[in-house]
Amino acid sequence: MGKEETPQIPRRTTRSSSSSNPILESTKPKTLKPLTLKDLVFEESQNSITLDNIFSAFPCRKNQILELIRFLGPLNSPLLPLVVYGGPCTGKTSILLQIFRHLKRPFIYSSCRTCYSPRVLFESILNQLLLHRRFSVNGYSSVKRCEKPLDFVNFVKEAFVGVLDKLKENSEKLMSNEVINGRMMYLIIDNLELVREWDKSSQILHFLFKLYDILNMPEVGLIFISSTSPDTYCLNAGYFEHVPVVFPDYTEDELLQIFFKSQENSKIYSSFLGVVQRPFSRITKRLNELSTAFSPLYKKYCEPLTEVGVVPNEDIKRRLFSHIQPHLGPSLNEIFRVSCQPCLEGEMNAEKTRLKKSTWKLEAHQNDIDCHMSISAKYLLVSAFLASRNPATLDASLFDSTGGSDNRKRKRKNSVTSMEKKETAEQEQLMKGPGTFPLERLLAIFQCITSVAEIDLDEEQVDNNSLIGQTGDGGLMSDVLLQLSSLCNANFISKGPSCPLEGSIRYRSTVSEELALKVARSLKFPLSKYLYRR
Amino acid sequence: MGRETLAEEALILLRTRLCDPHFVFSLSCNSPDSNYSKLKFIISSSVTEACNNSVLLLGPRGCGKIAVLELVLRDLLVDYPDLISVIRLNGLLHSDDNGALKEIARQLCLEHELVFSKLASSDDNSQFIVAMLRECGLAHKTIIFVLDEFDLFAQGKQRLLYSLLDAMQTVTSQAIVVGVSCRLDADQLLEKRVRSRFSHRKLLFLPPSKEDLYKILEHALILPTDSSLSHDYAHEFNRKLHSILVGQKFKDIISTLSNSDATVNTLLKFLFVAVSHMDLNFGFLTLDNFKAALSSFQRQPKLECVQDCSILELYILVCMQRLEVKEQNSYNFNSIMKEYKSIHSSFQTSDHYARNVCLRAFEHLQERELICFTDNRSYNQSAEFRPVKILISYHELSQGLKSHHSCPAILHKLLNRER
Repeated sequence: MGKEETPQIPRRTTRSSSSSNPILESTKPKTLKPLTLKDLVFEESQNSITLDNIFSAFPCRKNQILELIRFLGPLNSPLLPLVVYGGPCTGKTSILLQIFRHLKRPFIYSSCRTCYSPRVLFESILNQLLLHRRFSVNGYSSVKRCEKPLDFVNFVKEAFVGVLDKLKENSEKLMSNEVINGRMMYLIIDNLELVREWDKSSQILHFLFKLYDILNMPEVGLIFISSTSPDTYCLNAGYFEHVPVVFPDYTEDELLQIFFKSQENSKIYSSFLGVVQRPFSRITKRLNELSTAFSPLYKKYCEPLTEVGVVPNEDIKRRLFSHIQPHLGPSLNEIFRVSCQPCLEGEMNAEKTRLKKSTWKLEAHQNDIDCHMSISAKYLLVSAFLASRNPATLDASLFDSTGGSDNRKRKRKNSVTSMEKKETAEQEQLMKGPGTFPLERLLAIFQCITSVAEIDLDEEQVDNNSLIGQTGDGGLMSDVLLQLSSLCNANFISKGPSCPLEGSIRYRSTVSEELALKVARSLKFPLSKYLYRR
Repeated sequence: MGRETLAEEALILLRTRLCDPHFVFSLSCNSPDSNYSKLKFIISSSVTEACNNSVLLLGPRGCGKIAVLELVLRDLLVDYPDLISVIRLNGLLHSDDNGALKEIARQLCLEHELVFSKLASSDDNSQFIVAMLRECGLAHKTIIFVLDEFDLFAQGKQRLLYSLLDAMQTVTSQAIVVGVSCRLDADQLLEKRVRSRFSHRKLLFLPPSKEDLYKILEHALILPTDSSLSHDYAHEFNRKLHSILVGQKFKDIISTLSNSDATVNTLLKFLFVAVSHMDLNFGFLTLDNFKAALSSFQRQPKLECVQDCSILELYILVCMQRLEVKEQNSYNFNSIMKEYKSIHSSFQTSDHYARNVCLRAFEHLQERELICFTDNRSYNQSAEFRPVKILISYHELSQGLKSHHSCPAILHKLLNRER
């Protein structure tokens, strides 16, 4: 079916459906094997690992691994519920799962991040216990509908009894001991701290903490993973704390060891680490943030090296250090920024600027705005910024027909009281934040600004296909309202609650002054003339 | 290795005991004055005399209320096999009336092998329950209702409590209502009409005294010499254990533990951790196991959080502390940045970073729960303008700075200067 036939089809079709081959769409859905008991163990297809493998995979966690194994205990020994807690990116989930892989004990894993409400959490646990897979044949439905803790307790008790019976039969057969060990079942609930943000959170949290007592089954072991310590769960009803296992954050030496382990070319990388690790660890010690910051720097560090496998001596090290030194400062300030993929012309422009100037200048980047906005959206952003910063009483004088007065003409002597007033006003500005404005004021400012700028834009109108000044007020307003809602969705403008006295919604601009200046510069709009400075 | 397998068997036995509350509380079955005997007397007398009764079991969490109740019920079921049926409700799950009625009906059906229909309405369920109560009364069978988390049933309109207690007022019914709660004033929460139908019998469960704690300890840890474990090993184990238990250091450990929380559950948790630390090669419990368990109980999470912070995060915390000392009632991220910049302009430190970096460090602190916002997400303000407060005290912060492994000296000076 070619594209030229599409205008003749009376029914509207999307491009993808009209261009795809209809024969392919009617294939049978893939038949998946039903789940068995073996799926309760960690992916039996992978080879089993020894304890030393775990120690080497997680370099500085020997104590925690041994502690977890001690608490899990010998085969078929009951345990009190555990709480594994520690900062993010410290290896709690991955180490726990690898330990279960090593021990080959059956477990069920549920994360409160993917299971975002009680119903999803309960149904996910039941699906895993009853070995039910959700796919297209049964319409991706769960095996049982379960919303309240009451139903969950009844269903899960039956389900556990069923699974434990199967495990018992399994353990009596001698051959299957290679795959599954033991007659006990473990339930792991991850990201427990997210439950605090659910509604009815205290009921669910209380229920989860008492789950062990309510279930009253010694063959079931409960393990909770949380990224905050148990004292941050403030429940009013007094609950009983579980056995804690702490994963402290990595120290700087441990971070060095971990990074060292991850790279092959150890000598150069170790000298690189020696240079960058200390300054960057002063800002953050999280592994994920440091590794994203290090990888582009490492590429930069290795640029002057001609051969790959060279062992650096002092001379080479000094040379590499002096090469990377000027980049360290700016990249420290960019540490949390994840670079987006630049478009091709952006890259070519960047290359050109790099050829012109030998060092990597940040100012060129700083003048570009990261996102692409239409001209009317940019004007809307600037008018929102002005509406938030300036008090409403100034609008008449700023936006009169003379195109804005120049604040700098009025210079008064700064007496002591006016300095104090200035300070308190500054303090207020720091605390209060940007002001709110109703929609009418925004549109009024927008119209004033664009009527001034219309004269400049006329030449570019042909290329730009902009809507400003095209069809008169009706077309302009409808498009502006659409742009406003997309700016609200992008969090450039936030929508406040409606004021009960006036009954209209008030907006607030949330962009910083530098971003507003950047946008105004790209529009060639003299923003600083219009800003009210106290 | 023979010793290892023996030790493993012993470990499994000890862990099974410690995770089973019934075992531990069975100690109290023997003494005549304990809650166990009182409760047993109350329930058995109501069963034999065919009258209605209600009792409340109150006490802090972890003192064995449910455990003792289960022991009593287990013994009574042995003594009077056909005269008792037990219905268990939990305030966490069944606090709404319809759910509770459904659950009672379901358990009654289960016990008497009737078919339970999930589609029955609450009216049907309540009629069924009343009918069952009458039938059981005629057959001289007592129904015992165990209401766990009793105070949660007393929220709202208390319809379930009223209907249960009211049903007990008829001559034909034989029911006992046992309420279990951790709130010591649970009976004050009842409405007037419910309270008038409630007999004011209360049993108080308190944390055990020091001597009782030691008795429970021994009862839990001493290995039986006549079971499947080898006799010599068990004997040796008990001998070594005795020598530890009478030592002064062990008594200090136990008194440190019971100073903060003397309930039985805490003791069981402590023993569980200690027993898990047992070295399987050595095969016996040592004092070091108990010391290691105590240190895991004495954690200071906020101090550890501060020790884990990076240096920029410490700067932000110190700035916030200084702002609090200057008695600024509310401050937000912008004022913190102003303070931060003023510190750097006066001291010329090397740790001056850009605003977005500081904002991210601020968010890390928030995730660790060392700071929090004081408003309730009103006005949809962005994070830089919302008022914040610091959640640790001056003392904790200075302690954390001292024990931090690479804290710059300037921070100590800044923190102390304002005091």
